[in-house]
Amino acid sequence: MKKVRKIVALSVAAVMAVGTTACGGQAPAEQQPVNQPAEQAPAETGAADAQTPSAEPDTAAASTENDGSYEACTLSFSWWGGESRHTATLDAVKAFEEKYPGIKVESTYGAWSGWEDSMATMFATSTAPDVNQINWNWLDSYSADGSAFLDLNQVSDVLDLSQYSQEALGQCTVAGELQAVPVSMTGRIFYWNKSTFDKAGIDVPKTLEDLKAAGETFRSQLGDDYYPIALGEYDRMILMVYYLESVYGKPWVADDALQYTAEEIQEGLAFIQSLEDAHVTPSIQTITGDGAESLDKNPKWMNGTYAGIFEWDSSASKFEAALEEGQEFVVGTYFTDMGSHQGGYSKVSLAFAISESCAHPKEAAMLLNFLLNEDEGTTIMASERGIPLSAAALANCEAKDLLNATVAEANGKVLDWVTFPLDFKFEAATLKNSDGVYYDVMAGLSYGDYDMAEAASILIDGIEEELNK
Amino acid sequence: MGKKKFLKNNIGFLFIIPWLIGFLVFKLYPFASSLYYSFTDYQLFNGVTRYTMENYVDIFTTPKILRALKVTFQYSFITVPLKLVAALFIAYILNFKIKGVNLFRTAYYIPSILGGSVAIAVLWKAIFKDDGLLNTLLAIFGIDGPSWLSDPSYALFVICLLRVWQFGSAMVIFLAALKGVPTELYEAATIDGAGKWRQFFSITVPLITPIIFYNLVTQICQAFQEFNGPYIITQGGPRNSTTLISLLIYNSAFKNYEMGMASAMAWVLFIILMVFTVIAFVSQKYWVYYSDEEGR
Repeated sequence: MKKVRKIVALSVAAVMAVGTTACGGQAPAEQQPVNQPAEQAPAETGAADAQTPSAEPDTAAASTENDGSYEACTLSFSWWGGESRHTATLDAVKAFEEKYPGIKVESTYGAWSGWEDSMATMFATSTAPDVNQINWNWLDSYSADGSAFLDLNQVSDVLDLSQYSQEALGQCTVAGELQAVPVSMTGRIFYWNKSTFDKAGIDVPKTLEDLKAAGETFRSQLGDDYYPIALGEYDRMILMVYYLESVYGKPWVADDALQYTAEEIQEGLAFIQSLEDAHVTPSIQTITGDGAESLDKNPKWMNGTYAGIFEWDSSASKFEAALEEGQEFVVGTYFTDMGSHQGGYSKVSLAFAISESCAHPKEAAMLLNFLLNEDEGTTIMASERGIPLSAAALANCEAKDLLNATVAEANGKVLDWVTFPLDFKFEAATLKNSDGVYYDVMAGLSYGDYDMAEAASILIDGIEEELNK
Repeated sequence: MGKKKFLKNNIGFLFIIPWLIGFLVFKLYPFASSLYYSFTDYQLFNGVTRYTMENYVDIFTTPKILRALKVTFQYSFITVPLKLVAALFIAYILNFKIKGVNLFRTAYYIPSILGGSVAIAVLWKAIFKDDGLLNTLLAIFGIDGPSWLSDPSYALFVICLLRVWQFGSAMVIFLAALKGVPTELYEAATIDGAGKWRQFFSITVPLITPIIFYNLVTQICQAFQEFNGPYIITQGGPRNSTTLISLLIYNSAFKNYEMGMASAMAWVLFIILMVFTVIAFVSQKYWVYYSDEEGR
C-alpha cells in the first residue's frame, strides 16, 4: 500500500514538475520580443542580430524587413483617454509596428479616473512604461530635477523637434532638459447648448451681462431646474482666475508668488458666488445630487437642462457627443465686459515623454516621431489629443481635412484671446484633486460652510504652502 | 538515520516556503517599513529628509483627519451591529425548511461578492441621486425626498446601507453555526411550551455566541478599514462627510504623495483596531459560551 502511495505521489510530483516547466519555459508569443531581448542586445549588435536568419518564421520575416537602422525590441506605451482616442492610438501603434518590423509596442491605456495615482507610483519607483502620455504639470511634480524623463534633445536626430516652436518646447523644458514633447495647447472657453437658449427665447451669451441676465430668464421661462451654465469646483476656480486676470491684468502666480491680495481674491470668490445666487449656475450640492461622475455624463447636460459649460477646448467633442439628438452645440466667445484685460490662460494640454529608465530611447523616439510628425501616424491620430502643435502634423491634418471643426474653432479662439501664463503649481495635486484646496474652498463657499474672508484665507494658505514646497 | 528524522521533522518548512516568502515580502516588510516611515517626512518624490513625530501630532490636531476618524467611528458603530443583526436574522429564516431555500441563500449572498465594483456605484447612484429611484418612489406618496448623495447629513447613511446590504458572508457563517445547534434542544423546548422567539433567544443565540463573537471581531476590523464604498460612490464627499480614515490614507499616500503621514495614519488605525479587538476578546468571558469541557 505504501509503495502504491509513493508511486502515486511521485507521479503527481512529476506531472507537476513538467507542468511547471511547461508554464515557465515559454512566454506567450505576443509577449515575446520579436528579436533578441533588449538587455542582451546593444544597438550595434542588435542590428546585426536583426539580420541573422532565425528558425522562427515570424522573426525571419521581420528580420528581412529590418534595415538595421534600429534595434529590435519591445516598447511599453501608456496613455489615458476615451474610447475614440484608444482606438486611434492602437491603430497608429499597429501601423508603427508594421512600418518598423521588429519593434513591438505593448500598450497600457485607460480612463483618466485613478490614472495619475498609479502613474505617480510608477514614476517614483522607475517602473513606468518606456513612452508615456503625461499631463503638463507632471514635469514639475515628478521630474523637477529631470530624474523621471529623458532629455529629448538626446534623441533629436530621430525625433524631429524642428516641427515645434521654441516657445512650445520651452513649456516642457524643466531643469534645463526638454523632458517632453508637447502635443497640443489648450485653454478654457465657453460652450453653449443653443437649443436650450432658443427655447428660453434668448441668444447665447456674448457678454457677462448677457450671462447674468440669462439666469433669471431661464428660471422664469424654463423652470427652476434650468441653468445657463454648470460649473463644478475646478471650473469655478479657473473661471475666477480668468475673471481676476481680466479685471486686474496680472497673472495668478509669477516668480513662485501669488500675485493677488486677500481682498482681490475675495472679490473673485464673490463673483463666483454671485453667479450661483443669480441662478446662473446650480449649486455644488445640486450638481453632486445629480449623481453623475462628470458633467459630460450628467443627464442634465445631455438633455439641455444645463445649457453651458466652461471647458477645455480639447474636450469639445466629448461634450458635443454627449448631447441628445436635436441639441445644437456652439462654441462661445470670451466676455469683453469682464474687465479691461484679456484674462485666461493656455497651457500644454498634454505631452509625450520617454522614461529615463527606457532601455531603447532611440526606438521610443521613433515611435513618438511616428505618432506626432509622420504623415502616416498623424493621419490616424488626427485631433484626438487636440489641434496638433507639430507643424507637419497640422499641415497633414489640414490638407486631409481631419481636424474636428468644433475643436479647431475653440482652439483658435482660445489661442487668439488668452495672454497670461500658467504656473506648473496651479495644477498641483494638493490643490486641484477632489480632496484638494480648490474643491474645499469652492464647495465650502457654495454649501455655506465658509464666508468670503475664510474661503480666501484657506485658498491663499493652500497655494502658498504649495508654492513654498 | 538522524538526517532522515531531521528531514521528516522539518520538511514542512520547505512546503511553506512560498507562503513564507510572500508573508515576509508583502506583509511583514511593508508592516515594519510603514512604522519606520510614520516617523519621517517621507514624500514619494522627495524621499526621507528628516525624522519627526509631527505626523502623529498632526493627526490629533488637524480638523480634516479628526473628522475622518469621527466619521469612521460613526460608520463602524452603525454598520457592525446592523450587519450582524441582518445577517443573523436572514440566516435564521433561511435555516427553516422552506421551498427554494437554495435560491434565496444565493440571492442574499450575491451582494457580498459584488463588493466595490463599478456596477454597484452605478446602481447606488441611480437609486439615491436627487431624481433617483428612491426619491421617485417617495414622491408617489407625496414625500419630497432629501438629497441623499449631496447632503452631508444623509450621505453617510447611503454608504452605511451599502455595507449592511452586503451581509452575505456573515450570513453564511451564521447559517453554518445554526445548522450545528442540536435539534433535540428545540424539541425539548417545544415540549416545554417555549415559542419560536423564546427558543431563539434562549437556545440559538447562546449556542452560537462563539460565531457571533467571530463575526463581531471580523466585522469591526472590516468596518474600520472600509474603503470601497466611499471611494466608488461619494469619493469622500460631500464636504468630507463620508471620508473614512482609510480613504484619507489613500488620498494622502497616492494623491498627495505624503507617505510618512499616510503611514502614521495607518498605524493609528491599526492601534484603534487592536484596542477594539482586545476589548472584544476580554469581554467574551462574560457573554460567549464554549461547549468544551470547561463549559465557557
